[in-house]
Amino acid sequence: MSNSTAKVRLSEIFLTFAIIGLTGFGGGMAIIALVERVCVRKKGWISPEEFMHGFAFSQILGPFSLNVCTFTGHHLRGIRGGIVAAFGFILPSFVIVSLLSWVYFTYHKLPQLQAALKGTNPVVIGLILVVAIDMGRKQIKGADSALMALAAFGASSFFKLNAAWILLGAALWSLGAAYYRRRCR
Amino acid sequence: MTSLAMIASIYLRIGLMFVGGGYVLIPLLNHIMVEQYQWLTLRQFLDGLALSQLTPGPLAMLATFTGFRAGGFPGALIATVFIFLPCIVLMLLVGRNYERLKKIDLIGSTLDGVLPAVAGMVAAAAWNLGASSLSGVKEFLLLAAGFAVFRWTKTSPMIVILAAGVIGLLLN
Repeated sequence: MSNSTAKVRLSEIFLTFAIIGLTGFGGGMAIIALVERVCVRKKGWISPEEFMHGFAFSQILGPFSLNVCTFTGHHLRGIRGGIVAAFGFILPSFVIVSLLSWVYFTYHKLPQLQAALKGTNPVVIGLILVVAIDMGRKQIKGADSALMALAAFGASSFFKLNAAWILLGAALWSLGAAYYRRRCR
Repeated sequence: MTSLAMIASIYLRIGLMFVGGGYVLIPLLNHIMVEQYQWLTLRQFLDGLALSQLTPGPLAMLATFTGFRAGGFPGALIATVFIFLPCIVLMLLVGRNYERLKKIDLIGSTLDGVLPAVAGMVAAAAWNLGASSLSGVKEFLLLAAGFAVFRWTKTSPMIVILAAGVIGLLLN
């Protein structure tokens, strides 16, 4: 894998993430789902497991949609790749938000984009669902993992628990399980 | 106008605090921008928040909006670069050490062990978004259509999302 991924051009990384940045409506998880579709499914730049590892790190370390882009870019082309991916991802939003800020502070008006979001929101939810199902089918094998997935779902949706805490709990759980398996071996 | 060096140092500080959880960003920016420096009124801050939600990209683009207020286009640029700088550097460090760490047996299996939780969290995000934004039949139809397109076709998600935005504009 590293042989074929080493050849991805920086310009392609830039362009890919710029397009993701341009269409990343709906916040963090919508963007993650987009990156997953494009970089994991379509381009095969990073394996599903590695992508999810990056996602776990990203959730803990600040603005996670940007972090996933940086992580994927780094996976492809090292430091330069990470910087190019992060820059490409932020650039379109930066241009759009600066221009709209200028409009806002000059004319005191917000653009009427609310209606467009009424169209994108449900579709983005569909995208996130598809990604969740793909991830679940691959990762949920047996009662243990199903229980963990359910617990994480419940903790996040019903108890609104912070993602970092959920991941920390899951890490302790799986560390304990790994340790236990080792001792039994 | 506030000096660019000052903007840089303020946003770098916010960026450093923001490592450890994106959740603190909104109250933190509100405190610094509205209460401490009084660059914006609360109303302007909330409008900026709405603007960052309406536009593509992370919510943290609120930094661009507030930076613009503090120092025009250069202020927006400096604010954006410096708020994201710490987490980019940190993520590059994670990336550099990831391959090595993954090979350590216990760490590798712990990392793999949390993956079901990741899947559960992604599903929860769909649930949370749905609970807050799905209201009518039209929305559910769009959701079903979007789901079907992403599940069973290879259409580029960008095209689908842009088309959905146009549909939203036409319908509302």
